[in-house]
Amino acid sequence: MNKKVILIGHFGVGKTSLVKRFVHSQFSEEYITTIGVKIDKKTLTVDGVIVNLLIWDIAGENSQQKVPKSYRLGAHGALYVFDITRPATYENMHQEIKALQEVMPDLPILVMANKKDLVSTEELNETLSKIQPYNAIATSAKTGELVNEAFEELTQKMTK
Amino acid sequence: MGQGLGFQQLRKLLLEQDWEDRKELAQKLEQLDSELNTREKLEERVNPILQDQEARIQREFPVLFGPQITESIKKQIKESQDEVVEVLYPIIGRMIKKYITSEIQKLSDQIDAQMEMAFSWEGWKIRIKAWISGTPQKDLMLSKLIEPKIEEIHVIEKNSGMLMGSYTKKEGLDRDMVAGMLTAIKSFVEDAFETEAQELESIDYQNYKIIIKSFNSFFIAVVCTGKLNAAFKDKIDDELLSFSEKVLNKAKHPDKEEVQPDVIEQGLAEYFQDFEDLNE
Repeated sequence: MNKKVILIGHFGVGKTSLVKRFVHSQFSEEYITTIGVKIDKKTLTVDGVIVNLLIWDIAGENSQQKVPKSYRLGAHGALYVFDITRPATYENMHQEIKALQEVMPDLPILVMANKKDLVSTEELNETLSKIQPYNAIATSAKTGELVNEAFEELTQKMTK
Repeated sequence: MGQGLGFQQLRKLLLEQDWEDRKELAQKLEQLDSELNTREKLEERVNPILQDQEARIQREFPVLFGPQITESIKKQIKESQDEVVEVLYPIIGRMIKKYITSEIQKLSDQIDAQMEMAFSWEGWKIRIKAWISGTPQKDLMLSKLIEPKIEEIHVIEKNSGMLMGSYTKKEGLDRDMVAGMLTAIKSFVEDAFETEAQELESIDYQNYKIIIKSFNSFFIAVVCTGKLNAAFKDKIDDELLSFSEKVLNKAKHPDKEEVQPDVIEQGLAEYFQDFEDLNE
């Protein structure tokens, strides 16, 4: 079964690095901004079901309203990524997720708090409490921590 | 006298070992001096070390000197463009000449083949076609040389960009990703120019042309090569309409929303495998 996953979030939060870590098990410190959209594919087996994930890594924008609507259409799941070290990347998260849910009411959405390797446990907990009621998975594209788990959790939600 | 002899003997006893050591040391020094000052002997000792170093430099040359060489070539080209052009001009000129000669040879061979065909049944068919359509016979013969061909067809869900089925003559990139990127390009163009009622109909890149036919919930991308004429496009349009009507409806699972890709792929192969032969 094929599923379309979209990655959204501000620029520089690490969307492309998360995809690179998940699909190719690689990480690079170099920052290359995504132009438009980049599509990758990865096959997962979840609960005995083979799922082809078509991952649309959408170019980051300060506001998600600037992202072409058509990139989001037909998505089966979404990953909202923010950078733990930059409050500006999660300050408007509630409104942006709400706007997405208005267009696609049943869309499973998972929040990823990325760049965990750059903060202490206290700083992480403080940030996570700020984004309540959303529960984010704290990931690090650099170390690979919880990256696969996040994609797998979303896949499980999509196949239910 | 007795005292003197005793002293001599004592001295001999005490210093004999020192003398021997000194003698041995002097011999070693002499040998070392000879090794250092005789080229052959020195080479014998130093050569293995130099050979090892040489092998290491050869092995690691790109890593050790690659960046400096690239930088110095860049600088050299930038600073002496005229000289570089002077050196490269004859080489590039010869390459272009060779390429053009080879292409003309190919064209000439194809024209020879067409001339041989002139008195065959195929030749008469072209003459009759030229007479009926009013197109010059040479144009028809030339268009035959660069005949359009279908290379790939992808049936893609409109919103999600998911591949519903495809047909290709050669294995290339991952088809799911091609379908996604085609959808993204199509969406981007339509969004960027805010043309809600209009849709992207084709993408051209050198010898390839992608014809995009949009339907309600999906679109079909046909990748073609050669010179596409109106008749060929018409024929593609007709076949795509007939295909969507007959195959796609059948491919939709009666109970579910999902389509059966194998039915689509089988249908595409049936419709388009011999498409060029039908294009008469």
